[in-house]
Amino acid sequence: MPIELNDRDDVLLKRSAKGDERAFADLYHRHQGALFRFAMRMTGSSWAAEEIVQDVFMMLVRDPKKYDASRGTLGAFLYGVARNRILKHLERTPRNFSLDDPEGGVPESHPQLHDDMTPARWTEIRERRESVRAAVLDLPPEFREAVVLCELEEMSYEEAAHALECPVGTIRSRLHRGRALLLAKLEMLREVPRRAKVGR
Amino acid sequence: MTCEEFAISGLDLGEAEQDSLAERAARVHMKECAHCAALHENWLALRGDLRELGKETAQAAAPARVEMRLLQEFHTKHKTVRGHRAAMVVGWTLATAATVILAVTSVLWHERQVRDTGSPVSQTTNSPAAANLPVEESSASGLDTGSSLIAANNTGDFTALPDSMPPISGDATVVRVEMQRAALGELGLTVNEEHAADWIQVDLLVGDDGLPQAVRLPQSTAGTTK
Repeated sequence: MPIELNDRDDVLLKRSAKGDERAFADLYHRHQGALFRFAMRMTGSSWAAEEIVQDVFMMLVRDPKKYDASRGTLGAFLYGVARNRILKHLERTPRNFSLDDPEGGVPESHPQLHDDMTPARWTEIRERRESVRAAVLDLPPEFREAVVLCELEEMSYEEAAHALECPVGTIRSRLHRGRALLLAKLEMLREVPRRAKVGR
Repeated sequence: MTCEEFAISGLDLGEAEQDSLAERAARVHMKECAHCAALHENWLALRGDLRELGKETAQAAAPARVEMRLLQEFHTKHKTVRGHRAAMVVGWTLATAATVILAVTSVLWHERQVRDTGSPVSQTTNSPAAANLPVEESSASGLDTGSSLIAANNTGDFTALPDSMPPISGDATVVRVEMQRAALGELGLTVNEEHAADWIQVDLLVGDDGLPQAVRLPQSTAGTTK
């Protein structure tokens, strides 16, 4: 049976559960990229992200009945499974691992060179990006996932809330805390003049 | 708008997430508060860095080996499921066939048993001597060319004992006795040795000379004779 582009995920999953390889491959291609990026940005490691994505889809192969269409979309379900795996990974992995690990770390930042960019400026930008990346990875997981989804993945609050299966207000408050922590970690608040009054 | 409120929602200035009323209030607050204006400026710089970081890995995807492993697992799982189904079908087919064979064998064995059990009687009854004459008839007619050895009554046929003489008169008597099956052997009948010690009830047709001339097994014991 041909696969339509707009075939719903649950339809594809049913076909996949019956042994339709194309349906499974289609589901995988639809979701693996976003899950991989989410896992990589959360863990700071591409090999960990690879393991996590594999685990998530392995579960889908072995036990597709775990997904209940009445409880939400498959995308949100997969994000939820990935999130659990990520949290487990973060629990058992020491937080101070090298970000420069060429074997499994996130690829290093290489800002695009412009004509008007001196090597010194390029190096400055690169270092800044690396420190931003490190600051994101240093955020507590619940704030990190909000920052990753809304700022790096550029999801709307609703989309992020949907993916993390929590209210929009929760995303908003986590994002607020995450941003404040990021600004503090990057010492950007130092440059901000002191408030004249506590509240206006 | 206060500085706290600005910190929560003012950083979204210009984003689709913010409604126009809140945006206007944030802008007014920014003009009045240097702290919040600087905070917003820093946030914009940080957001720029975050978005750039996001763009750098926007095309990141799981390596092809992950898909390969998953498809391998997919094939293994579905082959196994298919294998289990086939095994179940074969299993049920074999079980059904075995049941049918068992049933047919049982029926055939039972029929054979019945045939084997009934053959001497039927031989006797089919023999010219038997002629299925009732006891009363044979008693009434007295001698009737050997047919008097076999008596038919309400319950069944008598089997003539070997070497017994046909009754001369019609005064034969039916006597029910209890004896061990082995005793039938002494009367000249074939006895199954496995049940030789069993006690059974036997009807004997005793002639007026006092000797048994024919024997009949009541229905309850007939099945186990021989």
